Amino acid sequence: MNRALVTRAVIGPPAVIVWCLLALLPAAPVMSKFYLLLAFDALLFGTIAMSLDLLMGYTGLVSFGHAAFFGLGAYASAIVLERGILSLWVCLAFAVVVVSLYALVVSFFATARRGIYFALLTLIFAEVVYTFFRYTQTFGGSDGIQGVPSPRLFAEVAIDTPLRNYYLVLVYLGLAYLACRVLVTSHFGRVLVAIRENEDRARFLGYNVQRYKMAVCMISALLTGLGGALYPGRSAFATPDLMLWTVSGEFIIMVMIGGLGTLAGPIVGGAFFVLLQEKVSSYVDWYFIVIGLVLIFIVLFMPRGLLGIRELLGGRRWRATA
Amino acid sequence: MARDGVVLEVDSVSKSFGALAALSKVSFAVRQGQVFSVIGPNGAGKSTLFNVISGLHVPTVGHVRFNGREIAGLAPEAINRLGIAKTFQITNIFPEISVFENVRVAAQSRARESGRLASLWRLPDVEAGAAELLHAFGLAARRDELAENLSHGEQRYLEVCLALATSPTLLLLDEPTAGMTPGETKDATALIRKIAAARGLTVLLIEHDMSVVMGISDRVAVLHFGEKIAEGAPEQIRNDPQVIEAYLGPPED
Repeated sequence: MNRALVTRAVIGPPAVIVWCLLALLPAAPVMSKFYLLLAFDALLFGTIAMSLDLLMGYTGLVSFGHAAFFGLGAYASAIVLERGILSLWVCLAFAVVVVSLYALVVSFFATARRGIYFALLTLIFAEVVYTFFRYTQTFGGSDGIQGVPSPRLFAEVAIDTPLRNYYLVLVYLGLAYLACRVLVTSHFGRVLVAIRENEDRARFLGYNVQRYKMAVCMISALLTGLGGALYPGRSAFATPDLMLWTVSGEFIIMVMIGGLGTLAGPIVGGAFFVLLQEKVSSYVDWYFIVIGLVLIFIVLFMPRGLLGIRELLGGRRWRATA
Repeated sequence: MARDGVVLEVDSVSKSFGALAALSKVSFAVRQGQVFSVIGPNGAGKSTLFNVISGLHVPTVGHVRFNGREIAGLAPEAINRLGIAKTFQITNIFPEISVFENVRVAAQSRARESGRLASLWRLPDVEAGAAELLHAFGLAARRDELAENLSHGEQRYLEVCLALATSPTLLLLDEPTAGMTPGETKDATALIRKIAAARGLTVLLIEHDMSVVMGISDRVAVLHFGEKIAEGAPEQIRNDPQVIEAYLGPPED
């Protein structure tokens, strides 16, 4: 049953069509380098929103500090590249180490508290990280680390074009989606939903709730951090602004737009947010007002997010558990 | 080790909340296979007693032993894993997932994968046990309904299913028939008794309604203002003047 669910969601007919379209996207005539980078961002932030959905949609925990995981991953990668170590694998490995250590500390303290206190603790920890990088000259202060070289997949293969970056992030999306899908259909995922539904009852069924919460925080943080580690390859920089609390807020909005507890929804939500922001901001400076209005509309009229359209059209409710 | 056949031993347990003594020096022993009931008027300290046994509260003084092992002060999840499952007086289920999924997630708590790394990618097969439980409580036809859509009586049964799904050896029932009509109450108590006997469970039952416990209990203890005022077979309790006074007030003459 587990396998069947995962298989259908990851390589079922609709999913395969989406994967094929995404793989063929760069071949579309309109795809300039600019649009390829935009597509990179859409998929990157979509994947990060999906990682956050593990917490928000499945476990019922709202993290206001995911930008720190993202930013730390980016810095870790940029620091490695800046030293002239160009292996992508070293970048990723270093990001995993850094983000894990930080996430271990945050999740240990934050999961000891519930609700708004969890959210505030994640926010406070993230602000500390932001402030550290903002005011530490070793890491460039407010300028961050600029002009880092492109990472290399292998000795001869540099990921130095928008096209290569795009395919890299597509692979990241695919693997992360597979991992999340397996996770939420597993024993572990069912416990997360139980925690979301009724944390106290889960304890009386023998589940060590805090340990589960810590584990899902770590996993979500790691996936987000890996996304961050891919970012300097695309932008050639890592700046403290990547860790601003507003970025964490945007991640939350992406999840909300897409639909909580659906995995696919937040991917769409993240991509939608990035494209909307890009489109609107190219016309007006006050684009956040427009985005705010769109968000209000979605929350009021499509409370299940963009994927809720299925439900509005009479389809099956798309929800975390069967 | 425990004395012969004693599953749960509550040994002079006191619990105070500030100046309020919710329990004072309560002792009793529940033997293997018994249905042991604790009764008392509202506010007698019954729920506090349960919270102490199930790990929500740490007793101020005293010991709770399960199969000879001290469990006072352990976390609820640790106590559950030793084989004590509790149902709640106020229905405490997972409202927005299906009835079947409710029982499934409870049952998988005892699967081999539980608490191991493999639980991240494996889904233990506990469907059969969960389906069997739902069937026993007449919920099989409702398995795909969201738990919050069940009637009150059905939710009370689901509550018991959740506890039983963790394969306990001792079942703590906190007013399992709360809010049921007298007819439903009778059916429910008979059903619970039958299932407990079939599974070889020891049951500790809390009730404020004396009539519920008399028919199904092997032994009854009475709490009043946090103290145990009587313990014995149901007939003894029914005729105990102290118990009658606690329930009905002092004689008027």
